[in-house]
Amino acid sequence: MNRTRWVFFAIVGLALALVVAAVVVFDLLPFGKQDTTIAGEVIDTSQPVRVTVVAAQSVEPWVREAADQFNGEEHILEDTGQTIQVTIIPMDGLAAKSRFEREEMDPVPTAWIPDSRYLTELVNATFKERLGRDVFLTDGEYRGRPIAITLLAWGIYESRAQALEQAGAINWQLIHDAAMNADGWDALGGSEEWGFFKLAISSPRKNASGLGAMVAMAGEYYDKTSVSVDDVDSNDFQDWMADIMSSMSDLSGGAYTVQDLALFGYTTGDAGQLLESDLLVNMEGIQTRWADPLRIVYPQYVTWFDFPFTVWIGPETSADQKNSALVFEEFLLSEPIQQRALAYGLRPVSPTVPVEGPDSLFTRWQSQGAQAVIPRTTAMRPPDRQVLQDLLRFFDLRVAGR
Amino acid sequence: MAKSQKHAGRTPGQSAAIVGALIALLVVVVTGGCLCWALLRGITGAAGVLEDAGLKDSEFEGIVLRVAYSPEKEILFTHLVDGFNQMGRESADGRSMRVQSVRMDPDEMLRAASTGEFQAISPDSSVWLHQLDQQYAEEVADPAAFLVGQTRHYAISPVVIAMWEDAALELGWPETAIGWNSLVNHAIADPDFRWSHPSTASASGLLATLAEFYAAAGVTRGLTPEDLQQPETIARLQEMEATVSYYGEGEWAIAQQVNERGRDYVDAFVAQEQLVVWLNEQGHDLVAIYPVEGSLWEDHPLALLELPSLTSEQRLAFEEFAAFLESPEAQRQVMSHGYRPVDLSLDLAMENSPLTAENGVDPDQPRTTLQLPGAQVIDQVRNVWWVIKRKTNVYLVVDTSGSMDGEKLRNVKEALQVFVNQIEGAEERVGLIEFWGDVEILVPLDRLGDNRPELQAAIGGLEAGGDTALLDGVTVAYKQLRRLNDPDRINAIVVMTDGQENASHISITDLTSKLRRENQSGARVVIFAIAYGEDADYDMLQQLADSTGGQARAGTVETIRGLYKILSTYF
Repeated sequence: MNRTRWVFFAIVGLALALVVAAVVVFDLLPFGKQDTTIAGEVIDTSQPVRVTVVAAQSVEPWVREAADQFNGEEHILEDTGQTIQVTIIPMDGLAAKSRFEREEMDPVPTAWIPDSRYLTELVNATFKERLGRDVFLTDGEYRGRPIAITLLAWGIYESRAQALEQAGAINWQLIHDAAMNADGWDALGGSEEWGFFKLAISSPRKNASGLGAMVAMAGEYYDKTSVSVDDVDSNDFQDWMADIMSSMSDLSGGAYTVQDLALFGYTTGDAGQLLESDLLVNMEGIQTRWADPLRIVYPQYVTWFDFPFTVWIGPETSADQKNSALVFEEFLLSEPIQQRALAYGLRPVSPTVPVEGPDSLFTRWQSQGAQAVIPRTTAMRPPDRQVLQDLLRFFDLRVAGR
Repeated sequence: MAKSQKHAGRTPGQSAAIVGALIALLVVVVTGGCLCWALLRGITGAAGVLEDAGLKDSEFEGIVLRVAYSPEKEILFTHLVDGFNQMGRESADGRSMRVQSVRMDPDEMLRAASTGEFQAISPDSSVWLHQLDQQYAEEVADPAAFLVGQTRHYAISPVVIAMWEDAALELGWPETAIGWNSLVNHAIADPDFRWSHPSTASASGLLATLAEFYAAAGVTRGLTPEDLQQPETIARLQEMEATVSYYGEGEWAIAQQVNERGRDYVDAFVAQEQLVVWLNEQGHDLVAIYPVEGSLWEDHPLALLELPSLTSEQRLAFEEFAAFLESPEAQRQVMSHGYRPVDLSLDLAMENSPLTAENGVDPDQPRTTLQLPGAQVIDQVRNVWWVIKRKTNVYLVVDTSGSMDGEKLRNVKEALQVFVNQIEGAEERVGLIEFWGDVEILVPLDRLGDNRPELQAAIGGLEAGGDTALLDGVTVAYKQLRRLNDPDRINAIVVMTDGQENASHISITDLTSKLRRENQSGARVVIFAIAYGEDADYDMLQQLADSTGGQARAGTVETIRGLYKILSTYF
């Protein structure tokens, strides 16, 4: 090979080497990118941190409205400078519980807002057996914190309330007696064409408020705020509770919510303990569709629903996502957003936001019994997991016949 | 030699020029290489986009939500789905959403729900959702598991007894409240009173049956499995069901028959209130009777199936679709179709509302409902119904003339097997007659418990050839049933032909006169006629069916199987 050829091949080889080097250098250096390095990890800060929140139906409209506002305001995760984008997935609390337990959440949400801490307790119970630890924390920065509250209240059609109140104040014992009356409304001071007394509560297998109603029954039956496993397993109590629940108009396993009470009116439910927030939201519709208005009556033993904002602590979501979820949680707890909760019939948890006000459904429906301050009631203490599980088992065996 | 001469002759100036040229080449190669790389990188990047775009094209539907719906609301549901799809909804990342609707009986939905064939269902009633959950819990051996997730409503309608106004007036309506008990008592007292409810495969049929069970057990709540086994309850139920003229594939099919045939078809039938509105808007004169013991609702739930394969995008599409169904525009459409909207701000008595007394309905009704029992009791109701339902004597009369040769006969054989297999009860009686230029009773009428294998074998052995003695075939079957004179059962002939009558000894005029005349007394025989293919004499079959209060249907090689399956629901 002569010299010219050597020079030729050397130049071609050099050119190729330069091309390869250019490719390598271009790929390694952050030309034109907005990446940052944290603890050796390169983070693309031009991309938002995506947070997914599964929210219970009763708070979902309010939380969704807040998320839309939050996303529009482009909140930043301070550690990385990334914007946070929140997606809300509405899911009934018990459906979410079931999907968590069957490990069918896809994707696993960053946070969950169930109806009640009852549900996180039940999921934790499942994972405790499986993993030996909780998946939703009860303390620390990722602990569940209520974002709004509501309670179980009696919703009763006015005509039925007037008939029942002839026998005394509305409570579970009165409802028990109405449910057991073999002659129906004709013998209860109402009209024969109303048929039998029909109890309106949710299936505890489908909606947490149904489980809450059963806890409330136990509280009133035993006249105490904390019920034990022995209490709910007692034959006498279970017989009494079965009597009451035999008057549910749908034993087939339907969720039965206030929306159903509004939609089907007194044809399917005369009275029942349901979420106050749902009763308030549906009050106007009930008055339009049904000749009879609905009245709210507060029970002696109150079961609260606290809608805890609960961060999933599993490895499926990053620390940035978890921390971004906390930023959104703070936003939900901010005064303006808490104020908006009133328009959805929810009670703010922020002590600086009064329950009464121009947007408040509590103010609007005072005439139907809504009260900003709950009178003369006692709050039921959240029962432990076994109590809840025994109540569900009772329902399956004695009521739903599963 | 020439090459070496050139080298030998190179001067230093020429060498420098060559080196310069090579350096220039290096620059060109490097620059070109970089450009090519950049271009390739760009193309690759672009190809990624194109690939994505290609994915969108190949999946074009983007996010597809398949929803199975029950047939009675086909007009409304497909209308709403079209409205949603036309809006071109997109997800946050720009993927288009589309709903695909699949018409399906609730029974079939239950069978297919866990396969992932669809992500949501909209049956006629929530009662199926609870059945589905029970079934799923058994499938996964977890009593707490359920498949039915978020459930929304968009239209509701109470189950009523749809009755011709003159028939209702005869029962004392509106002064006298009518209920399930009074309806059945009237039917028992007057054998000419014809009423019908669908089989328990549809909500109205199931709910009507449930109402009968309550009436028979003498309760309006707390129905237990033990109640369903009491001999006196069973006896009363059999007495009630014996008054049913025939069953059928669903309330929509019955309503269509009423619309076509008018007052002669039936005196009363069980259906959702919306169909009373629809029929009256077609010019008929029916009223909705809200049973005094209590009614039940067809609540048309839209339910998401919490399958492991459900994607978050499909969940989002469900949300969007449900929100659309609840929108003011969709809700007005719901109401214009005669349903009660779920938007409670819409007053049922507003101007242009079809829910009026003129259309035979009362928006203030019903006053109360019957209790919907647990899934186990409902399951048992369906099982017991198969035992106590009005039994059938049915002759299958089959054309095996020469024109049936080939694919036609093959498909009919399959269809007949489906029919025989579809009828569950062992006590039902079925026989088989074939006709060509002649008529032969291949399998005499007998209990299916005894002759099912014989029927299956005879169907398998059918061969084509000869002329078409259609009317003789019907006559033979009719005489067999008349001779039996069994008024406690539904007596029916299901006759199929693909051609023109050309070999019978009796005329259509004589035969229809005879049918009309003789059906006035004794065991009434109903003819269901199938015109198979384009050459069949549909008019003649229609005359046969009309003379007995039956039905004529057209079928093709593709649909004959489904048609026989549908007809099996009438027995």
